[in-house]
Amino acid sequence: MTKHLADDLIRLACKVMNCLVVAFLLAPILVTALMAFDARDYLGPLPPPGFSLRWLSAFFLDSYFLQGLATSVELALSTTAISLFVGVATAYALDRAQFRGKEQLVSFFLSPLVVPPVVIGFALLLFLSQVGVVNGFARLLCGHVIITVPYTIRATLASMSQIDRSYTEAALVLGATERRAFWGVTLPLARAGILSGAIFAFAVSMDDVAVSIMLTDAHTYTLPIALISSMRANFDLTIAAASLMLMGLTVLLILILEKFVGLNRAIGEGAFR
Amino acid sequence: MPTVIKFENVRKSFGSLAAVDGISFSAEAGETVALLGPSGCGKTTTLRLIAGFDEPDAGMIEIGGETVLGKRPYERNVGLLFQHYALFPHMSVGENIAYGLKQRSFPKADIAARVTEMLRLVQLNGLADRRPRQLSGGQQQRVALARVLATKPKLVLLDEPLSALDAKLREELGAELKHILTSVGSTTLVVTHDQDEAMSLADRIIVMNRGRIDQQGSPAQIYAHPATRFVAGFVGRSNWLDGTLKLGKGSFATILCAGAVLSATAQGIADDTPVTLGIRPERITLAAADDTAPAIGANQFDGKVVQARYMGAEIHYQIGSALGPLMVVEPSTRAKPFDTGTRVRVSFCAEDCLVFPGNSNGA
Repeated sequence: MTKHLADDLIRLACKVMNCLVVAFLLAPILVTALMAFDARDYLGPLPPPGFSLRWLSAFFLDSYFLQGLATSVELALSTTAISLFVGVATAYALDRAQFRGKEQLVSFFLSPLVVPPVVIGFALLLFLSQVGVVNGFARLLCGHVIITVPYTIRATLASMSQIDRSYTEAALVLGATERRAFWGVTLPLARAGILSGAIFAFAVSMDDVAVSIMLTDAHTYTLPIALISSMRANFDLTIAAASLMLMGLTVLLILILEKFVGLNRAIGEGAFR
Repeated sequence: MPTVIKFENVRKSFGSLAAVDGISFSAEAGETVALLGPSGCGKTTTLRLIAGFDEPDAGMIEIGGETVLGKRPYERNVGLLFQHYALFPHMSVGENIAYGLKQRSFPKADIAARVTEMLRLVQLNGLADRRPRQLSGGQQQRVALARVLATKPKLVLLDEPLSALDAKLREELGAELKHILTSVGSTTLVVTHDQDEAMSLADRIIVMNRGRIDQQGSPAQIYAHPATRFVAGFVGRSNWLDGTLKLGKGSFATILCAGAVLSATAQGIADDTPVTLGIRPERITLAAADDTAPAIGANQFDGKVVQARYMGAEIHYQIGSALGPLMVVEPSTRAKPFDTGTRVRVSFCAEDCLVFPGNSNGA
C-alpha cells in the first residue's frame, strides 16, 4: 500500500514538474503577446487595462523596423538557398564517398555548432575586412550561410543515410545514369530532411543576433538588430509587436514542418545542437 | 542456344580477401541457373559484378557475347530483382514499372501499353495507382518483377528472391515466379543461400564455396552425387560418420567405421586413409527387428528408435545404432510407424554412401 502511494506521489510530482516547465517556457511568450496589444503609452503592470492595435500599426509605419524586416527576409531567403545547395551537395558527398577521416570531416562540418556564433562573427568581420568585402549584405550573407550550413548538412545527411543503397542501384540497373538517379530517386527520398534543413536555416537566419551584430552596418541591418538598437534608444512596445511578428513567422514554419515532414522527425533530424 | 552470360577466370578481392577467386561459368538463353552457397561464398559479389556495381580485378565477363568490362550498370541491360525489392516508395506501382522504360527512352504510348501488359503478366491489373507500401509482400515482389521484366533485359538476376516471404507464400510465389520467367523465356541467374530456393527455381545449380565453384550440375546431380564434402554438407542433410578406407577395389571399397565394416562406393581414394562417409536420411531403410523379409542394402545393423517425430508428410526418426546416432526420414504413408523404444533393423546400400577423403575434424 505504501509502495503504491510512493509511486503515485512520484508520478504526480513528475506531472507537476512538467506543467511548471511548460509554464516557464510559455510565460515570456504570453507576456510579449499581451504587451504587443497593450493600449497604454507606458510600461505598466500586467494585465493591461485595455487592448489596441496601436503598436502593431506603429511597427508597420516605422520605416526603420520595416527595412530591418525586409533585409531579414531577403537575407533569410538567400541564406536558405545557398545553405541548401551547399548542404545537399556536401551531404551527398559525405553519404556516398568512402574515404579515410570521413567521420572527422562530418564532425568538422558540424563544428560551427560548437564554436560560439559571436566568435564566428568576430573572426568573419576581421577576415572580410582583410579581403575587402565591405558590402553589408554580402557580409551578413557569409555569416548566415556559415551558421546555417551545419543544419542543412546535418538534416540532409540524416535523411540520405536512411535511404537504402539498393534504391539508387535499382535506378542504375534500370537504365538511369547517376545524375538521373540522383534527381529522380535520391533527392525525392531525402526531401523530408532537405525541407527541415531549409526551414531550420531560414529560422536560424531570421533569429540570429550574435553573428549579425558583428557584420551589420548603418544601412544593412536585420530585424533582430533593429529591435536591439531601438530598445537601447527609446523603449516602447513596438518592440513587443515586432517580436510577435517574428514569433508568428516561427509558428508558421512549425506548421509547414508539421504538415510536410512531421515535427518530431524534423526535430530529430535537424535541430539538436 | 547462344550463351547469354559468360564468366572466365573472374577474380575480385576486397582488401586481402578474395571474394571471387577465379570462377568460370556460363548460362545459355532461356536457362535458369542458381548460384548457391553460404554467406561470404562470393555469390553476391558475382551478382554485383554482373550488374556492374563492382568491376572485377581480373578475368572476362560477357553478356550476350559482348564484354561488359568497364560498362556502367545502365549500359548493360541486365534486370535485377532485389532481395527487398527496392521499389521506389515515392512512386506509384505504375511509375515504378515505367521507370526503366522512361530511362531507356521508350516512346510514351508504348510505355503505358507495356505497363498494362506487365501488370497483367504478374496478375496485378488495376493496381497501377497504388503506392508500394499499400501492397502485401507478395504483391510488392510481383511489382518488382514486373519492373525488372518491363525493359526486356538480356539477363534477369534474382537476389534471394523468396527469402523475404514467409514459408507458405514462398512455395506459392516460387512456382509463380518460375512460371512467369519461363513464359517470357528469360535467362535467369538466381543467387541464394537457400537450397530449396535453388532447387525449385533452377535448371542448373552452381555451388560456390569460398570464392570458388565446387560443383555445377542439375539439382538431382548435385544432391545425389555431390562432388565435394562441402557440397554434400551444404545441400541436403546427411548422417556423417568418420572412418578409414581399408580396401578399394574398382569403385567399391570397404570402410572401417566405429568398429563395423561397411561397403561403399568410392573412387580415387588410397587404402588406409581416413575418410568421411555420409548417408542421406531418406536413403536409410528401417525394418522391424523380427521382420523376416530380406533387407535392402549391403549394410545392415541393429538399432533402436530413440525419438520419432511426426512431420506430416514425413516421419523423422532418431536411431541409436552401433554406428552412432542416425537420422532417418521415412514417408508417413508407411502402414505401421515405429514407436519410440522399438528395436529396428537399419540398412542402406553401398551406392548411397557418399565418401570423401579426410575425417570431419581434420578437413
